[in-house]
Amino acid sequence: MSGHSIIQVRNLSKSFGKNLVLNEISTDFEKNKVVSIIGPSGGGKSTFLRCLNLLEIPTSGQIIFDGTDLCAKDVDINKQRQRIGMVFQHFNLFNNMNVMRNLTVAPVRILGMEKEEAEAKAIKLLKRLGLEDKASSYPSQLSGGQKQRIAIVRSLMMEPDVMLFDEPTSALDPEMIGEVLDVMKMLASAGMTMIIVTHEMRFAREVSNRILFLDGGRIDEDRPADEFFDSPRSPRLISFLDKVL
Amino acid sequence: MGFFAQIAAILERYTPFFMEGVKNTLIIAALSVVLGLIFGTLMAVMRMCRIKPLKWIAVAYIEFIRGTPLMVQLMFIFYGLPMIGITFPDVSWIPNFSRFMAGIVAMSMNSCAYIAEVIRSGIQAVDSGQMEAARSIGFRYRESMTLVILPQAVKNILPALGNEFVTVIKESSIVSVIGIADLMFRTNDVIAVTYRSLPCLAIAACIYFVMTFIGGRFIALLEKRMRHERA
Ligand SMILES: Nc1ncnc2c1ncn2[C@@H]1O[C@H](COP(=O)(O)OP(=O)(O)OP(=O)(O)O)[C@@H](O)[C@H]1O
Ligand SMILES: [Mg+2]
Repeated sequence: MSGHSIIQVRNLSKSFGKNLVLNEISTDFEKNKVVSIIGPSGGGKSTFLRCLNLLEIPTSGQIIFDGTDLCAKDVDINKQRQRIGMVFQHFNLFNNMNVMRNLTVAPVRILGMEKEEAEAKAIKLLKRLGLEDKASSYPSQLSGGQKQRIAIVRSLMMEPDVMLFDEPTSALDPEMIGEVLDVMKMLASAGMTMIIVTHEMRFAREVSNRILFLDGGRIDEDRPADEFFDSPRSPRLISFLDKVL
Repeated sequence: MGFFAQIAAILERYTPFFMEGVKNTLIIAALSVVLGLIFGTLMAVMRMCRIKPLKWIAVAYIEFIRGTPLMVQLMFIFYGLPMIGITFPDVSWIPNFSRFMAGIVAMSMNSCAYIAEVIRSGIQAVDSGQMEAARSIGFRYRESMTLVILPQAVKNILPALGNEFVTVIKESSIVSVIGIADLMFRTNDVIAVTYRSLPCLAIAACIYFVMTFIGGRFIALLEKRMRHERA
């Protein structure tokens, strides 16, 4: 195994009542690598991702983030979450705050950054995405693509060690998908560690080092991106790819 | 004498009477809503908290109050409590203080249950993604609540709270049955001396309507202001 793994998943299971959604999953995520997760609807992709920062509490198993078992009793999960960015399908910008406050509230309140410093940093990032004129807008005044890019910036403001994306383009109009994917490509080439649940196959192939096929609560295939698409082994993956490509 | 002439004649003599009733009605309604808001907030917090017994107490209270008539609750407080030795003290310089207390306690205990539900549903109406985003970035539950959820919930809660105030103004007419000199009580007084129930009731209805209408307009204005504040 090359490089150092930032997240190790060990025998992760998650049930909702009697419904076993994740079944003894084990895998590693390495620093500075991009891993995409694809699979059929209801296969447990979101649940898996949400377990990684404990938005869902695993039923059993371990999530070891940078050497810390997140499920351990004495771990302050809030501290760990500061280092794990998350981008949602429905953006989830704070609706009661304008863009600038969305970006600065966490660094100021949680990291104790000076307000001026946080704002300067926010402006710098907004400029890079050509969104600096939106600083005083409220989320309701933005397009979906703008909201999602701001949401990405909000995560970046915390300088996370890893970023989780749950179908970041699924709620977007087709013409806005590109602008969000471009930002993600930029992050990937800057070396950000990313775990991405997506239905954008071409994007996944282009940007990922590795792709996981999650189906029925298990990782059914786990291969480098090109092999994953060119020579899939699992019969279920083959039929899944047949349907979506 | 025609109907309107009767009304005019009654108003001419008894306006101060009605006004005293209005004053008492407004005092009772305002105090009930304020107390109801304070305890309703507490009740809502209990209702949503993770400590199971507290939650059950709140659920039981809210369901019980909402499922029984205000009249019964009022009677219970006014006649029932003294029987088990709980009395409201008399205060010499406020006439009828103990009656007033019983009325306000009953009204605010009632209002508290409704307001608790208003607050709870206002909070739950905030998209769950807001809490998830706040938690995932590293905010604690409490910070997420105060920074993100509550400011959005207030916008849902205020209009419903206004409606509750309007409801309380109307429902408070019931306290006249325990002898509190509210608008309804005074109306009955005037009927008793003039023997003209219809004009008196018409006057009372108009006054109640004006109070609730002004209340309603005021709330609508507040709502509009809030909507403009943040697009
Ligand atoms: N909070 C929950 N309570 C109960 N069941 C849940 C909950 N969240 C997810 N599930 C169930 O878990 C299973 C997996 O859901 P999940 O959202 O992880 O799938 P997914 O792979 O992300 O699907 P999609 O592509 O549609 O987003 C589904 O059967 C779903 O009904
Ligand atoms: Mg999903």
